[in-house]
Amino acid sequence: MNDGGEHPLDLRGRSYLVTGAASGIGRATAVRLSRLGARLICSDLEVPGLEETLGGLRGSGHIARPFDLRNVDAVASWLGEACSSFGQLNGFVHAAGVPCVCPVKGLGLDRLREVILVNAESGFALAKAFVNPRTFAGSQGSIVFISSVMSLVGSAASAGYAMSKGALNSLTRALALEYANRKIRVNAVAPGFVKTPMFDKTSAGWDDEQRRRVEALHALGFGEPEDIANAAAFLLADESRWITGTVMVVDGGYSAQ
Amino acid sequence: MEKTGFYEALAEILEVEKVGDADVLREFDAWDSLTKLSIIALADSDYRTVLTAKDLDGIATVGDLKDRLEKNGQ
Ligand SMILES: NC(=O)c1ccc[n+]([C@@H]2O[C@H](COP(=O)([O-])OP(=O)(O)OC[C@H]3O[C@@H](n4cnc5c(N)ncnc54)[C@H](O)[C@@H]3O)[C@@H](O)[C@H]2O)c1
Repeated sequence: MNDGGEHPLDLRGRSYLVTGAASGIGRATAVRLSRLGARLICSDLEVPGLEETLGGLRGSGHIARPFDLRNVDAVASWLGEACSSFGQLNGFVHAAGVPCVCPVKGLGLDRLREVILVNAESGFALAKAFVNPRTFAGSQGSIVFISSVMSLVGSAASAGYAMSKGALNSLTRALALEYANRKIRVNAVAPGFVKTPMFDKTSAGWDDEQRRRVEALHALGFGEPEDIANAAAFLLADESRWITGTVMVVDGGYSAQ
Repeated sequence: MEKTGFYEALAEILEVEKVGDADVLREFDAWDSLTKLSIIALADSDYRTVLTAKDLDGIATVGDLKDRLEKNGQ
């Protein structure tokens, strides 16, 4: 497969959509994929951040397509329109997401539904729209959902977030089987705590002692967005061609104990 | 921004029937780290205000909390 010379994760000639590309993990993923030669549609609801990301990409032909993923009913038409000018895709990385650190007693159903809508339902809508022949290039298909280690281990004040990411893990396994004969692999990455703007928001509720405790749970310390971007790049590249339906834990050892 | 529901939401978080402006936050039986997280989440979702654990330690009463949220959430 890789006979030397090119990068083992070479993505030249490939095209992907990255959601959540205005910030954190989505931005780092877009940068990584562009360095591996891929051409990208970058999406997010934050337009200035999206433009900043685009400015930092290597190569040419990338486009920004702002979209609020809460409009799940419009995902198919939006994606179809984006691909009509950009061309077809080999896959996508769904990194858009919202945090939800809230004990059950403070978590209203409206907020819960919004978290599930942005983190999980939008992933379903993207995967459903992706198989359209206008959208999918027909070969080397790979979908990567950015889940969370919170979907795999329990933690107080994480019920809503954990539900949304657990739904993504289940979607990953079901779709992996349903899409296998279309030559589309489907995987998820479950990060531990990664230093991004979302992390800053999540950790605002911690005192110094809590911060030390959470950091100590990561044997390798807190992660960087690039650590997750690298895992996503691997799951898109041909090097992972026999991997589908898995939730790859990238958490510096958080869930090892 | 749903301000009429402040007292009801806070009473639910503090696990009491009702709360008043003069009530001291740290004197509630339910005052613990999870309760603080619930208030931080309420500030974020209903008032678009980022409160930290440290900020909350500096707020004494229910009324002070309301003032703080309404000031920031304008
Ligand atoms: N940072 C962490 O510690 C961590 C840990 C585990 C999982 N994750 C997951 O990684 C992903 C990326 O998180 P991050 O840390 O980079 O956060 P981030 O806040 O830096 O980036 C998330 C991006 O998603 C976008 N977004 C939010 N709602 C949207 C919507 N309705 N439509 C379109 N875009 C929307 C935001 O604008 C933002 O740019 C998320 O799914 C998050 O749940 C993060």
